[in-house]
Amino acid sequence: MTIHLKTQDLARRLLSYEAETGKFSESMESATLRVYEKLRQGLGAFAGVAAFESLASRALALAKPEAPSLGATQIAADGSIRGLGKFKSQIDNDKNQTGDDHGVILIARLLGLLFVFLGEALTLSLLRVQWPSTVFDDHS
Amino acid sequence: MSAQEKVKINKLPTGVPGLDEIVGGGLPEFSFNIIAGAPGSGKTTLAHQFVFANATAERPALYFTVLGESAIKMLRYQQQYTFFDPTKLPGAIRFINLSQVVLEKDLGVVLEEIAKEVEKANPAVVVVDSFRTMVRKPQSDMDLQSFIQRLALFLASWQATTFLIGEYAEDELRDNPIFTVADGLFWLRQTAERNSIVRKLQIVKLRGQDSVPGLHTFRITDSGVQAFSRTFGLTGHVRNQPSRRRLSFGIPELDKMLDGGVREGDSVLVAGSSGTGKSVLATQFIAEGIRQGEPGIVAVFEERPQAYAERAASLGLDLDAPQKDGKLAILYLRPLDLSVDETMHSILDAVQKIGAKRLVIDSLAGFEMALSPGFRADFRESLYRMIFALTGIGVTILSTVEVDESFTEFPFSTYSISFLTDDIIRLRYISIDGQLRKIMVVIKMRGGNHAKDIREYEITSKGVVILGERLISYQALISGLPVLSGRSNPQDEPPHRAEEKSPHVQTLE
Repeated sequence: MTIHLKTQDLARRLLSYEAETGKFSESMESATLRVYEKLRQGLGAFAGVAAFESLASRALALAKPEAPSLGATQIAADGSIRGLGKFKSQIDNDKNQTGDDHGVILIARLLGLLFVFLGEALTLSLLRVQWPSTVFDDHS
Repeated sequence: MSAQEKVKINKLPTGVPGLDEIVGGGLPEFSFNIIAGAPGSGKTTLAHQFVFANATAERPALYFTVLGESAIKMLRYQQQYTFFDPTKLPGAIRFINLSQVVLEKDLGVVLEEIAKEVEKANPAVVVVDSFRTMVRKPQSDMDLQSFIQRLALFLASWQATTFLIGEYAEDELRDNPIFTVADGLFWLRQTAERNSIVRKLQIVKLRGQDSVPGLHTFRITDSGVQAFSRTFGLTGHVRNQPSRRRLSFGIPELDKMLDGGVREGDSVLVAGSSGTGKSVLATQFIAEGIRQGEPGIVAVFEERPQAYAERAASLGLDLDAPQKDGKLAILYLRPLDLSVDETMHSILDAVQKIGAKRLVIDSLAGFEMALSPGFRADFRESLYRMIFALTGIGVTILSTVEVDESFTEFPFSTYSISFLTDDIIRLRYISIDGQLRKIMVVIKMRGGNHAKDIREYEITSKGVVILGERLISYQALISGLPVLSGRSNPQDEPPHRAEEKSPHVQTLE
């Protein structure tokens, strides 16, 4: 499995987990936001806000060509993501992609950068703090 | 206070090969240490090795990064080292970034933030990397000193062993109040000398422990920092009692000249010009040792082990089989930027691994050339330490040295190292009857009644072969240009051995 496929698979798992553990049925952008926020909190404390903001901006720049509906999304100076909810209306104009796909693309790109910089083993070690190990079962 | 009432300070492994010995057995638990040095000197890597060696899930390490290298970049590079264990992150080793706090708040808040994390995690180890970036913020010295003092007090009370990492230049060592607070001060130096980089480590202070003084070389490899103690890892080792045993060269006539052979634990110097058979003699010495069940090591600097073994094979000496059997190690020591301490470390490792009794250094000139230019200045002193240490553990050393052939002098070494050796065997060319022939003489043998005969020898397919009786028909042999003496009967000559030194030979001591 290539890194890209691996990170997409991992992103799907994280998003699915967050969607399933919501108290009520949540939109996919909420699940994306929750995954993103967990990553921001964890990596921000670990690497610093500025380092996370840089990575997130790069991930968003890489994701936008694959998910045009992320066009209005922005990363703030504190690393938080803005405009994520706007992609729902734009999805209607893009019949080939769903909200799931856009969330997966963004998170996969962020995870991909972590794989590149920290390596798979260390990235997974860091993620295991915030998600149960069952999410990573069979992930290789 | 009786011995029983004394507090026992636990010593923690540094995780840095060679450093435990230098710091006196390990790093004092709960000590407050500073690692100082220039950029690229290995400060962070050293701290990481300590962290990985000591952090556990129950007593984790907190690694605070401040301004400077981000944790992501730091870990990207650090995980290339073999000591890096990704499974220790983030449970046993936790990175916490304080950049924002440092940029936006004062040192008091930084201290509060560190205290909050420490109280939460109950760490065994705390690292602040780099605390110097906090120092550079405009504030008075008193603020900083107060901060360091409070931090030291707090972390010691919370039973954490601490490292502050800072970039410091050499001239900042003096009168720095921050260093006064520290229990341990590790200074890493990196200097460029000609085309070589020399890294040295100094334990400037270490409270409560007897560290090895002086500058110790270190290297950064795939395994991280590796330190080479000036005492070669033999601190506290009791020197072996001198042995009366004699070691054979496997050349009966030479053994006779040496009063039965080389005394075990001696340092022997074989000196001669190019082509006189120094390496051949050295190879025979090693091969005879192996034949008698004494494992050996050959440290070569000028040729590869395979070439060395092939040359031995041409003399009928098999060095391949004993290598396979673990009775012989031929060490090819990388001919670039070596320090004597590193060389010694490699040799000692091999000595301990195969239980070596004999060591050949072929040659001292090659050894010197393999050293970084900065270490060559200390070659004699380093060689002295090395020979003293090795003979102290019972190894018999034979070193070869090339000397310029002169027809007016009879030098033993270009290094003025004769005093380092117990025995000297001198080989040289002489011109006789229109032939360039070779002679051998034992110049010196400490504690032994060696022959003072000058013997002719040849290098044959069986190695060095000593010919006939001593050359009594000539005078001034050691000048290289002998003249006929007119005598031919050995009975007319002085006895085979004598207590007096030959008048032709320069005084050694």
